[in-house]
Amino acid sequence: MFNKVLIANRGEIAVRVIRTLRELGVKSVAVYSEADRSSLHVRLADESVCIGPAMARESYLSIPAIISAALITGADAIHPGYGFLSENADFSAACRDNGITFIGPSPKSIQQLGHKAEARKMAVKAGIPVTPGTKDCVYKDAAAQAAKIGYPIMIKAAAGGGGKGIRIVREASQLANEMNMAQSESKAAFGNGDVYFEKYIELPRHIEVQFARDSHGHTIAFPERDCSIQRRHQKLVEESPSPAVNKKLRDSLEEAAVKLAEAANYVGVGTVEFLLTQEGEFYFMEVNTRLQVEHPVTEFITGFDLVREQLLAASGEKLSYTAGHSVPYRGHAIEHRVNAEDFSRNFAPSVGRIEEWLVPGGPGVRVDTHVYAGYNLPVYYDSMLAKLIVWAPDRAAAVARSRRALVDFKVKGVHTTINAHQLIIESPDFQAGKTDTGFMERLLAPAEPAAAK
Amino acid sequence: MDVKTLTKLTKWMESTDLEEITWRSGDDKISLKLNNNPEHNTTIASTMEPVLSPSIGIFRFARPGKTNHLKEGSSVKNGQELGVVEVGKDFKSVTAPSNGLLKIISIEEGKPVEYGQPLFFLEPK
Repeated sequence: MFNKVLIANRGEIAVRVIRTLRELGVKSVAVYSEADRSSLHVRLADESVCIGPAMARESYLSIPAIISAALITGADAIHPGYGFLSENADFSAACRDNGITFIGPSPKSIQQLGHKAEARKMAVKAGIPVTPGTKDCVYKDAAAQAAKIGYPIMIKAAAGGGGKGIRIVREASQLANEMNMAQSESKAAFGNGDVYFEKYIELPRHIEVQFARDSHGHTIAFPERDCSIQRRHQKLVEESPSPAVNKKLRDSLEEAAVKLAEAANYVGVGTVEFLLTQEGEFYFMEVNTRLQVEHPVTEFITGFDLVREQLLAASGEKLSYTAGHSVPYRGHAIEHRVNAEDFSRNFAPSVGRIEEWLVPGGPGVRVDTHVYAGYNLPVYYDSMLAKLIVWAPDRAAAVARSRRALVDFKVKGVHTTINAHQLIIESPDFQAGKTDTGFMERLLAPAEPAAAK
Repeated sequence: MDVKTLTKLTKWMESTDLEEITWRSGDDKISLKLNNNPEHNTTIASTMEPVLSPSIGIFRFARPGKTNHLKEGSSVKNGQELGVVEVGKDFKSVTAPSNGLLKIISIEEGKPVEYGQPLFFLEPK
């Protein structure tokens, strides 16, 4: 195991990683930008270093600054969290070149699986079903390639992620224009304008399988997470297991994830995302080569600490479970992402000082956050304030627990999405487990004419 | 009370924790208050201008192969390079923000620095 780990991130995930490090007796180093001097991760870590100004490009995204911080503090490994540099192969390589262990997959795995078109090829090779689409990035004959797949299609950025760089094209006449926009968006967001086409599946569920693999070849797949409740491709609510997946389907999903992890000779934790059609067919979508925001729902139903598994895999040790590919689970977990957004004003970002911050507790409730009363929200980063995760022996009890915990959650000073979550859990469709990626749009649609009056 | 006694009294006060005393003798009354509150000290310090580190990294007074004869008390020009911060293969220049006297050097050769750490203090001219 490592002696000292630097966390190249901020916010709740930095706090989350520090907690596991402390439990394992590993020292922690927090890095922070000038805007995060008073953030919780800085206060909780054993050491902290200011690495740059507020702008992420010059702090949390600066490879030289972070490597320098690790060398100065004598950290032997870096945990990248999610976002920022977590899926950057150059960063993983820079760590390796400086004798620091990157807690995540090798640069090669990040390149193979992080590049969507490459990952798709690998999935096809491993015998995993993929959505009909182009085998490679589209550079020419776009119209012919789109027609072959059949409209509607999606244009996706090869280097994309987090729902960015996706455009839906419903007819041939829009293709050229949308293609231009997708390419320039992708170029601006990811520094790479490569795009590819995929068949657009109407109202699918977003299902994903968490896996972990060590360098000894042990691979575990965890029960699926259902992340269908999204707004503009940003996840709001995640749950595990999915109300739409039975034992047989679960086994097939887990088997696909294990096959892919083995085919890529992957070491670390990762997630395979699938689309599940209304008819129960699943298609490979992409791989996330990092810890995900929604990992606590998996931890809650299985009792695993996924950060610990990451540390075990990265330090060359065995995973904590080596008795098979599948792990037992119990009950049902739901995660609510609480953002500083004004739900009544079309989710406009809300900033300011957190005047009151009372988080729910009690049985089966977990809150992962970096926020505290008196905290000033910096305007430079994402708007997530906290993740509220609940567990109960079954789904109905978990929904009831969410309802109770959301009432207990008191925030003053900024607007939050707590009331949006209350609306979601009171929806009869949600309660019946009937969700798909169009859920939020339908939920919010009736409110619009009323607001216009 | 003559000046001599007053001086003695002040000296004695400085050797204690007392900040303020009042002396009464008949119609005479004198109050003494020592001027050592931190706010006042801050005001003095603020006439100096800090030179902050432009990056995390290792501080060097000069680029490789160069020398730098900077001393406390040296006069420096606006934009003059006072040192560099080594970060990876890069050297980030630390420059004087104004013409002035270099009053304090608060960094040593080869020491790690954080972003925004004060490295020098100037008295602007």
